[in-house]
Amino acid sequence: MKNPLAWLLWLWISAVIVGAFFYAPLAQGFIGESSRILFFHVPMAWVSFVAFIAAGVWSLLYLYRGRQPRHDRAAAAAVELGLLFGVLATVTGSLWARIMWNAYWNWDPRQTSIVVALLFYAAYLALRSAVEDDNTRARLSAAYAVLGLAVAPFLFFIMPRIMFSLHPQSVINAQGKVEVESRMVQVLLAGSAGFTALFFWVHNLRCRIQALSDRKSAL
Amino acid sequence: MRNASSWAAEATAVFVKEWRCEFRTRYALNTLALFAFTTLVVVSVSLGPLGVSASQGTAVLPVMLWVILLFSVAAGLPRAFVQEEETGTAMALRLAATPSALFCGKLAYGLTLVLALEALLTPVYAAMMNLQVASPGLLAAVLAAGGYGLAAGSTLVAAIIAQARSKGTLFSVLSFPVLLPLLLLSVELTRLAVAGSPAGVALPQLLLYDASVTVAGLMLFPAVWNP
Repeated sequence: MKNPLAWLLWLWISAVIVGAFFYAPLAQGFIGESSRILFFHVPMAWVSFVAFIAAGVWSLLYLYRGRQPRHDRAAAAAVELGLLFGVLATVTGSLWARIMWNAYWNWDPRQTSIVVALLFYAAYLALRSAVEDDNTRARLSAAYAVLGLAVAPFLFFIMPRIMFSLHPQSVINAQGKVEVESRMVQVLLAGSAGFTALFFWVHNLRCRIQALSDRKSAL
Repeated sequence: MRNASSWAAEATAVFVKEWRCEFRTRYALNTLALFAFTTLVVVSVSLGPLGVSASQGTAVLPVMLWVILLFSVAAGLPRAFVQEEETGTAMALRLAATPSALFCGKLAYGLTLVLALEALLTPVYAAMMNLQVASPGLLAAVLAAGGYGLAAGSTLVAAIIAQARSKGTLFSVLSFPVLLPLLLLSVELTRLAVAGSPAGVALPQLLLYDASVTVAGLMLFPAVWNP
């Protein structure tokens, strides 16, 4: 490996994993060691959120900044990775829910909104596979991703607040105060930063591979 | 730059053209009405007044009403754009109308179609399912606002899928996640209307959803429509 930043990222995430199990204390009111999954669940959810917002921004750039193929590739790659992280967030959340709520799934508002978000971006990929012409595909899928930005606030900000939820308050909650022990906050923030960096690194690789593949098929 | 009156004339012309084409074949009207009626019969036979008690009915019947509406819309509305692409009239329409006027004309057509369906379906549904509505005013408001959201969301998605392959299935796949917040809010409000409770914050939220989908539609439609 030639990239020192990639090594740094590897060390950072390793440290986060070690920190999650040996440095951070257990949270109050959680059964057994179940709160440790938080250090992976929260960063996964955060990264999928970042990925979907980024996909929307790249789609806006594609539509209104000269229709450059690189923006389309970036949006598509962000959606693919966002789906991956979203599925991981759902699975880790569901495992935790089995321990704490005694059911893998109970249509908690958070679970509803993540499922609808995953359906939306899976539909985005279905749309991409249903259009043959490159420019049409980029244009239509970009419009659909921006439509997602218009609908997402209802899923993420309004529904979880009007419906009864068992989900623990977000780290950054409505009152704007942190209610978690400081060592836990350190690991959470380090994890979120590390996995966000991982996302952008893999995203960059994915875009470059796609660019090469596009150039090859254009030859 | 075209002025407002010619824009309105274009939108009206699109709206009139849609209904004129519709009355030639009555495709969407027949599909929507028959689909809604068939589903209604299935729901009524299996759930009917004797199948669910009044307390269960308050919880279940609003959901079924919106499910019927959603799938009827999915069966009939996409045709507005799919037909333009299939018969090759889309290119002429691109030359004839500005995108925003076209979007509004198509949206007005979809809205009248959905509202007509709701006006037909809801009384029959309430009668067949023995659904007592405590506040009909709220129900009418929810049907209007929810119907508008259904029409606006589906019009934009229909414009997207019309240019793709496997249009029929793709419409359901693409529109469902977009319309789901609307459906959840509408079902909640319909329940409140049936129970006679005050609407609370859900009605403004439904209107907010309508507004954001309209803005997104007007903003995105030119990019979707023009190659």
